[in-house]
Amino acid sequence: MSLVSLNEGEKVYIIHGVEENFRCDGRSRQDYRPLELEMDIVSNANGSARLRLANSDILVCVKVEIDTPLPETPNDGKIEYFVDCSANATPTFEGRGGEQLAAELSRFLSLAHCPVFNLSKLCIVSGQSCWKLFVDVLILECGGNLFDAVSLAAKAALCNTSLPNIVGTYEDGKNIDLQISDDPFDTKPLDARDLPVLVSLCKIGNNYVADPTIEEEICGAGCIVISVTPKGKVSAVLKKGAGSFMPDTLNEIIMSGSQIGVLLNKALEETITKDMSSNVCKQRFGFLK
Amino acid sequence: MNISISLASKKTRHGILKPTSNPPVIFTPGEKIRDEAGFMRGHGTYVSAGSLKATVAGVEQNINRLVTVSPLRCRYNGEIGDVVIGRITELVHKRWKVDLNARLDAVLLLTSIQLPGGELRRRGMEDEQSMRNYLSEGDLISAEVHSIFADGSLSLHMRSLKYGKLGQGVLIKVQSSLIKRSKNHFHNLTVGISIILGNNGYIWIEPTSNDNKDLVGLEDEFEQVVDIGDRQTISRVRNVILALSYYKMLIYDTSIQFALEESKKYTVSDLLTAEACYDIANLTRHRLQIMDE
Amino acid sequence: MDLLSRQGLRTDGRRSDELRRISCKMGVFNQPDGSAYLEQGNTKVLAAVYGPHEIRVNRSKAPNDCAVINCQYSMATFSRSERKRRPRDNKSAELTVHLKQAMTTAIKTDLYPKSQIDIFVEVLQSDGGNYSVCVNAATLALIDAGIAMEEFVISCTSSLANGEVPLVDISHLEETLGGPSITVAILPISGKIAMLETSQRMHINHVEPVLTEAMRGCRYIYDTLNKTIKKHYEEIGGALNWGTEEYNI
Repeated sequence: MSLVSLNEGEKVYIIHGVEENFRCDGRSRQDYRPLELEMDIVSNANGSARLRLANSDILVCVKVEIDTPLPETPNDGKIEYFVDCSANATPTFEGRGGEQLAAELSRFLSLAHCPVFNLSKLCIVSGQSCWKLFVDVLILECGGNLFDAVSLAAKAALCNTSLPNIVGTYEDGKNIDLQISDDPFDTKPLDARDLPVLVSLCKIGNNYVADPTIEEEICGAGCIVISVTPKGKVSAVLKKGAGSFMPDTLNEIIMSGSQIGVLLNKALEETITKDMSSNVCKQRFGFLK
Repeated sequence: MNISISLASKKTRHGILKPTSNPPVIFTPGEKIRDEAGFMRGHGTYVSAGSLKATVAGVEQNINRLVTVSPLRCRYNGEIGDVVIGRITELVHKRWKVDLNARLDAVLLLTSIQLPGGELRRRGMEDEQSMRNYLSEGDLISAEVHSIFADGSLSLHMRSLKYGKLGQGVLIKVQSSLIKRSKNHFHNLTVGISIILGNNGYIWIEPTSNDNKDLVGLEDEFEQVVDIGDRQTISRVRNVILALSYYKMLIYDTSIQFALEESKKYTVSDLLTAEACYDIANLTRHRLQIMDE
Repeated sequence: MDLLSRQGLRTDGRRSDELRRISCKMGVFNQPDGSAYLEQGNTKVLAAVYGPHEIRVNRSKAPNDCAVINCQYSMATFSRSERKRRPRDNKSAELTVHLKQAMTTAIKTDLYPKSQIDIFVEVLQSDGGNYSVCVNAATLALIDAGIAMEEFVISCTSSLANGEVPLVDISHLEETLGGPSITVAILPISGKIAMLETSQRMHINHVEPVLTEAMRGCRYIYDTLNKTIKKHYEEIGGALNWGTEEYNI
């Protein structure tokens, strides 16, 4: 990401463009670049999705394990987010180079999902055993606006996830033995349609733009990331980058972010539904296309 | 608000255009091209056990007895006289380092630029100290390759009025092999836009300035706002060039002009979609072929 | 569990000398100078190459007359059936070194003085022979980046079933249940060996047949990949005039 730098002339051009509501690639301030989604592409995971937003390429896998619930929340399951920035995306991510960005992403993602995700759905036997979901995000290429892309991919992967059915429990004194169905198709889908997606709005000049490119992110005076549920409720807000906001603009940004979020959720919902309905003779391409 | 999420499985295989002619023989690394006797080893080849072998994947080219194989895609290899666009990365003693997407950063000597105040002037201490006022890190320049050092890095010069610092506009990066070499790399398109096709794969698009450029071109103008009409054309040109580059088509004035004409039926932001790119690339190639015949 | 049934079939239905299905694609990403995606059976790897470019770290320590090769082997946390906690651990550090050694033998580093070439591989799904698939994917990515190489570097892993029959291109199950295995990386045209590693102790009499089988596997992989590269170049080269344009003015 540090490989991109801009001179004053380019910055001025971008800023003026945003003022005119006509950005460098021809979009208006609120437009998204075309997105592309593919689900269920990793066969050894319980759910997976790959999302491409222009050059940003995100692969998310969900795996489930059986765990014991925490003593303070005996009826809740667990969910853990992990983000890895692959060095394939940019050489600066090599070694531990991507860790800070990864930590920021995974922390905010769990913060955004936490108030909405109903963990009691993951309970198997109260106080004894529950499902633990691992949401692993792999960033393969960066083309700006990672927060939105990661959240969309994560939601799609969770919608794609299904939990194995438990066919029997055997009580052996205090321990409970669970028997999981042998049939890999004997599963029940995890309902994740209510999860929020993140909308980044980057402040450039006196305006703010949705889906900023890397160049716009450099130009911008800071970015507000808003987590929006399909119903338009805001579950978390994060301000990142340098620069400061007036309280009034902040309100305005959050309001318009929640409007965009509703549309983004709707678009994702439609695509996922389309994917599920075309389940017959579906061919997986993954990276081969 | 325009948001569209498509399914990857719905996409037809858009990655390539249909082949038109019979492809030539392609050599891959380690394959024998021919016996060494009577031939000279050029770029992309090496001699082993009496035969010439390829080191990269590509097509054999012969110039008299010289055999070369050039890869379809690699970092920029400079040649003297090339027009390039570069970004200043570093200031070191009496020179600037310039990123050209080449193997090594190029060098621009303080003596290789035209300073304000006339042709003949000695460069003194003051000039050296105010180097950052002329060009600083992150600035974009257009320049010409002046010479090549022994280690392969390039030395640039800007001693002509057409070169200089670039102001307001858009930079796009494509593979260097996609830029067709021609006599002129500065083009004023009929739509009122100037483009500079750098041989290193960096392309600069800016509005055509009416007034003559100031002498040196080292001054900045940020007051001026590019008007919306020019802005739309610049974005259109940008998206069209990116579409051509996605389909690995050569980029030069004619191909850009044709692609622009074919793109008229789309709005500028529509040109971001895969379908529009495929359509334009296909139509442009068709027209180029008709022109060749 | 028998690795080889009485009919001569392996657990996944292959014969002892049969390789897994290979599919690959070059130029998957735009940002790197070269990239490739390779599937051998259920082992899936992405490779990206950046460079040759200016040396960024330890510039003073770098040699003056040849390129620095920098590698990273990484395994996605979800790549195996049981989740990995970290994408890079000690094992991947070891494989990074092996990958670097194997690739350095073939890259013509003397052509790129004072520069650095980065090779990054990411295992997306692991089902045996990870290292081998990574070497093959890295070769494809290097070719895509137009970096000069003496030859391909091709790797294959093979092991021994029932103490006598060599198995080529082993899967994860065969890796864990099977006998000793050999991983070899070769330059397939000259037949030079670039890297060799055995997994455990092995009788000297077994080395030869297992190694021969692995090298035969390498040659088969080489043929398949070579065909794919030529096909890829035929597809994309046409519009570009096969890179020969500049000489026809």
